[in-house]
Amino acid sequence: MQNNPCFQLLLPAISEQALDPAAALEFVADADFGATTLFLGRVRALNLGRAVSGISYSLFAPLVLRVFERACCDAAAAFGPQLRLHVSHSHGQLQVGDLAVVVAAGAPHRDQAFRACRKIIEIVKHQAPIWKKEHYADGDSEWSEGCALCSPATPSALSTAQAATQTTAATTTPLARAADTHGDGL
Amino acid sequence: MKIQLTLFGCFSEFEPGAVLELDLADAANLTDVRAAIDDYGRRHWPRYRPGLLGASVLASESELLCDEAAVPADGRLVLLPPVCGG
Repeated sequence: MQNNPCFQLLLPAISEQALDPAAALEFVADADFGATTLFLGRVRALNLGRAVSGISYSLFAPLVLRVFERACCDAAAAFGPQLRLHVSHSHGQLQVGDLAVVVAAGAPHRDQAFRACRKIIEIVKHQAPIWKKEHYADGDSEWSEGCALCSPATPSALSTAQAATQTTAATTTPLARAADTHGDGL
Repeated sequence: MKIQLTLFGCFSEFEPGAVLELDLADAANLTDVRAAIDDYGRRHWPRYRPGLLGASVLASESELLCDEAAVPADGRLVLLPPVCGG
């Protein structure tokens, strides 16, 4: 995992380390690059009209890292090869304002950097096995609905990654996307 | 065969330790595992919804698995409900 030296993929627990955008920008910097893009996803205070006090994130790290790696490979294939990419996602109990996800892309030109960053965050949000439980100001809490990983409709980063690692195609399942319920609202 | 199923998302709150152990026939495939989870959930999980299991996928530590697939040799599986990172 994470064999490409141009990719940095991290899953720090919030109890151990907060996400570090400055370090992400430093990683994707290169003297030959004129463009850097950065996406920051934070826990926001309001979701679907309810006041949010925090979010508990959980994840299945082995497969999350595979999805992140495949997302970076896809971005490099589409917009590279000259790209440096950082993807990190926090987990544990996050408060409003805490960083949940960071994606950074460095490239020779802005179009490559913008498109790579956008492609990766969409894959992270819709295909990585990450879950969140929203905690509300009124004391209630609720698991967010999300994107099913078992729809036969859409090829996925994860199933593509599996194919790349010699997994039998008949045993893999693609993913579908559904509406977000928190995060950046897309 | 014994199956050790690690639960994620809302399923993780249904079972102490977020791990469910099931005893299935030696020739069981993942369709059989799903049926066993459904049966267990209906009997033991008050907040269980069959539709959620239907929207979830079984996986090993390295790949998603279709229902026709065999159970991994080590009997270890994970149950992944719909995801929502970011």
